[in-house]
Amino acid sequence: MRATRTRRTLAIGLAAGVLVAGAAACSSDGGSGDDTGQTTLTIGLFGDFGFGPLYEEYMAMHPEITIEERIAEFADHHTNLTQRLATGSGAADIEAVEVGFISQFTAVPDRFHNLLELGADQLEDRWLDWKWQQALSQDESALIGLGTDVGGMGVCYRTDLFEAAGLPIDRAEVSALWPDWDDYVDVGRDYLAATDGSFFFESSGQMFRAMVEQAPVGVYDTENNIIAESNPAVTDAWDTTVEAIEAGMSNRLDAFTPEWTAAFGQGTFATIICPAWMTAYIETNAPEASGLWDVAAVPGGAGNMGGSHLVLPAQGDHPEEAYALIEWLTAPEQQLKVFQETGNFPSTPELYDDPEMTGLRKEYFNNAPIGEIFTESALEIEPQYQGPLQGDVLATIGQGLGRIEDGAQTPEEAWEQVLADLESLA
Amino acid sequence: MSAVRLGHRVRGYRPGRLAYLTLLAVLFFSGFPLYFSLIVASQDNSALGRIPPPLLPGSNLLANIRRVFDTVPFEAALLNSAIVASTITLSVVLFATLAGFAFAKLAFRGRTVLLLLVVATMMVPTQLGVVPLYLMMTELGWTDTLPAVIVPGLVNAFGVFFMTQYLREALPTELLDAGRIDGAATHRLFWHVVLPAARPAAAVLGMLTFLTAWNDYFWPLIVLSSPENYTVQVALSNLRSGYITDYSLVLTGTVLATVPLLVVFVVLGKQIIGGIMQGAVKG
Amino acid sequence: MTTAPPTGPVGSILEHSPRPVDQPPGELRDRRGPGRWRLWRLDRAVSPYLYVTPFFLLFAAFGLFPLGYTAWVSMHDWSLLSDQHPFVGLANYRELVADPYFWNALKNTISILLLGTVPQLLLALLLANLLSRRLRGQSFFRMGMLLPNVASVVAVAVIFSQLFGRDFGLINWLLEQFGVGRINWQAGTASSHIAIAVMITWKWTGYNALIYLAAMQAVPGDLYESATLDGASPLRQLRSITIPMIRPTIIFTVIVSTIYGLQVFAEPQLFAGSGQDSVTGGASRQFQTLTLYLYEHGFHRGFQFGYAAATAWVMFGIIVLAAAANYLLVRRIRSTT
Repeated sequence: MRATRTRRTLAIGLAAGVLVAGAAACSSDGGSGDDTGQTTLTIGLFGDFGFGPLYEEYMAMHPEITIEERIAEFADHHTNLTQRLATGSGAADIEAVEVGFISQFTAVPDRFHNLLELGADQLEDRWLDWKWQQALSQDESALIGLGTDVGGMGVCYRTDLFEAAGLPIDRAEVSALWPDWDDYVDVGRDYLAATDGSFFFESSGQMFRAMVEQAPVGVYDTENNIIAESNPAVTDAWDTTVEAIEAGMSNRLDAFTPEWTAAFGQGTFATIICPAWMTAYIETNAPEASGLWDVAAVPGGAGNMGGSHLVLPAQGDHPEEAYALIEWLTAPEQQLKVFQETGNFPSTPELYDDPEMTGLRKEYFNNAPIGEIFTESALEIEPQYQGPLQGDVLATIGQGLGRIEDGAQTPEEAWEQVLADLESLA
Repeated sequence: MSAVRLGHRVRGYRPGRLAYLTLLAVLFFSGFPLYFSLIVASQDNSALGRIPPPLLPGSNLLANIRRVFDTVPFEAALLNSAIVASTITLSVVLFATLAGFAFAKLAFRGRTVLLLLVVATMMVPTQLGVVPLYLMMTELGWTDTLPAVIVPGLVNAFGVFFMTQYLREALPTELLDAGRIDGAATHRLFWHVVLPAARPAAAVLGMLTFLTAWNDYFWPLIVLSSPENYTVQVALSNLRSGYITDYSLVLTGTVLATVPLLVVFVVLGKQIIGGIMQGAVKG
Repeated sequence: MTTAPPTGPVGSILEHSPRPVDQPPGELRDRRGPGRWRLWRLDRAVSPYLYVTPFFLLFAAFGLFPLGYTAWVSMHDWSLLSDQHPFVGLANYRELVADPYFWNALKNTISILLLGTVPQLLLALLLANLLSRRLRGQSFFRMGMLLPNVASVVAVAVIFSQLFGRDFGLINWLLEQFGVGRINWQAGTASSHIAIAVMITWKWTGYNALIYLAAMQAVPGDLYESATLDGASPLRQLRSITIPMIRPTIIFTVIVSTIYGLQVFAEPQLFAGSGQDSVTGGASRQFQTLTLYLYEHGFHRGFQFGYAAATAWVMFGIIVLAAAANYLLVRRIRSTT
């Protein structure tokens, strides 16, 4: 009878489902240590850090350690990490934190193991000073992370578009065109005058950020006050960027959207502020433009975009073993291997003279010596204090610029709203 | 156009050309984004930005599929999602029908208040609920396990509301009375009268619940951390890892995630639709 | 035109109480004896509670507890980034009501709700009507209605942001071909609302059509037969027979669409693409909905959970009002011809 059949089906299905789920639950690994002396360390990343072969090497050296890697999407990884830190469970023994999020975590150092107490106090000279500074707590009594890679910065430009505009195309000459940002904007004006229908850069946000991050003091002072309004470095950066927008130089694209990807191939803009990892992106997404791009120095000389640290959440049970692992992973020898494997730039300056780095060229970019270009800009950066809501502050100002680009507000209105929004953030 | 007698049910006029045209247009728009996903999945990242956009599939699909399986443990994710979605669907439909029957046809004290409470809970956004739920899962020791994803989903307010509403209309009280007169206890009434009458709505609810559970993303993302426990949507999200996203890879993943659903549709489609169309026993 | 009395009580969900199915038939007592009678009484009294208990147990644990927790948190200065959670009473609520961005989000949400829900439900009704006929390939068409729900959130995001792209999107390309000119969909308020409404309509029309379809099956066929014989057109039959007969279902979908429409989150978030704009609903917050506003405060900007929780409960109040208003509106559909 139909009802009985339905009932039977329902009952069997439900029971089966619960059984299978239960089995799956029991089989998933819960513990990270047991009596046999084997320790499992979990490491949570948001992309391929090139650590795969390194894990093998380390596990061969330390047979009592097993390493398990988990990878999540960039934004989700950081949001999950925050939630897991707040609820006290679920974080991996080692977590990667990108530079945009690190200052949020240095504000709550008690959620992490203090690496200075685990031996990192001996290691300060290993890293670029600003990289070390980024993982320090406000009072500098705790270090929460060891640096992995850095972004460095250059300007990637289209040689064909420059040529058509009557500008030099040799990268040394191009670098000489813009020793600082005002020069960059002047070149932009010349470019627009000489061409029709193409833009000078893809969006104003990166330019603004690059300028602010070159200054010794940024949007926060060391007391964690937001000083965007009173800091001339920030207001000058704003004014210069607005000038560029009003001159019509911006292609007004949002980074990482399909539109933005498409624009590389279509050649709708001539320059882009370019960290090292961006070069890989341009290569894969505009294969037909090979040889048309080159890399010059960034105005102002210094810059970094991206880069990460490895942190140890306090809820992890194996701080000493985890520390040993990350200390080894971030040692210069290992960072060099990562560089050879994935092209991620090391944060250890002693490698910058290594012929592996200085000799690195990319054919796609007219054989530009990107090894030299990006490490030079990384060396030039001054340590800058970053406050807890660093990412939100910069994003708020960036949105103000976006509103000007959209034509929704005048520069004065946009700045007023930025200031009001920053007040509500504080 | 003439009236057509079809079985015991007359549905008036036979649909004309306009009807078919409309339905085809709707079908086209419903399916076009999926088709476009397939196109991009079979090419590379630059396909999304090309103008005019490509309208025919490329040849990269197999390579992308291989990359998907290399990047995330996709087979495990598909299995996990299948377990989670099936269990949730069966449970939701069963409990919703039980509760719906009680709310619709049985009198008891506090019925209206409880029903209003159920509906009211649908009116609070659930995004923040992840934190207390996560705390609960930590207490229970269920973080990073499938039960953490399944158990909170075993019942939902929408299901109860839906079945209550349907049974109130479609379950004839006369039938229940007849059963009572024969001296049937409530549970017999349930299995023999209520369930068959509820079948069309149960079919719809089951289908919708399965799709919702399959596509659920927010909660599994926070509570599952080991790759072997991921459900399909979490695995898909991790195809976007790194600074730069390869959309052709991501869309290959979504196409792969959709295939099992389409298979279920094809295999069970007639059954499910038959269930919907069966209707109550009416004259 | 005579109509057969609809089986089962007709009425909207919250107004009409059906005759309870537990009047003891007189015979029982005589026929089966006193013991049986007691058992019968017990069954009548206890069964309803037994039937709703499994639901309520699970529901209390996983549905009500998070809600209570959220209400509790809303009265504290509660950030996920800090361990101090001082009690602040209604301060979060006061701050919320004073924030112009909150009212902006409310405005956007209502606009998107109207644009996305009204045409959608009408379309769903028409489609269900078409699908209820005997069609060639009817299973095919009916299953096809669910294709949008099969697509995963990520795919929908990518595809629609391509479709509505400013420079390289398919829709702008078509518009250009037809001489209309490009639109910057994300930048404008009206244009972004329309684009998001299109996404919502695309996703949920089929779902609602199937719900209507299921309800239409309960309508007796002879009603249509007599109407056809009387010469009523299909549209007239839809208006005068179908709609009144499935009125409770229509009310149901209106209430549910209102409730979920006011909580719309994924579509505006994904429409912005990436970065800060996806959290604020565009650089000018032109398409930030209430839930997006909640998410911005709870998962960004310092993870201010207390403030976000207050937002959630204020939204509850708004949704109750809106659902009640819509209910009163839709209930005025005639229930008989």
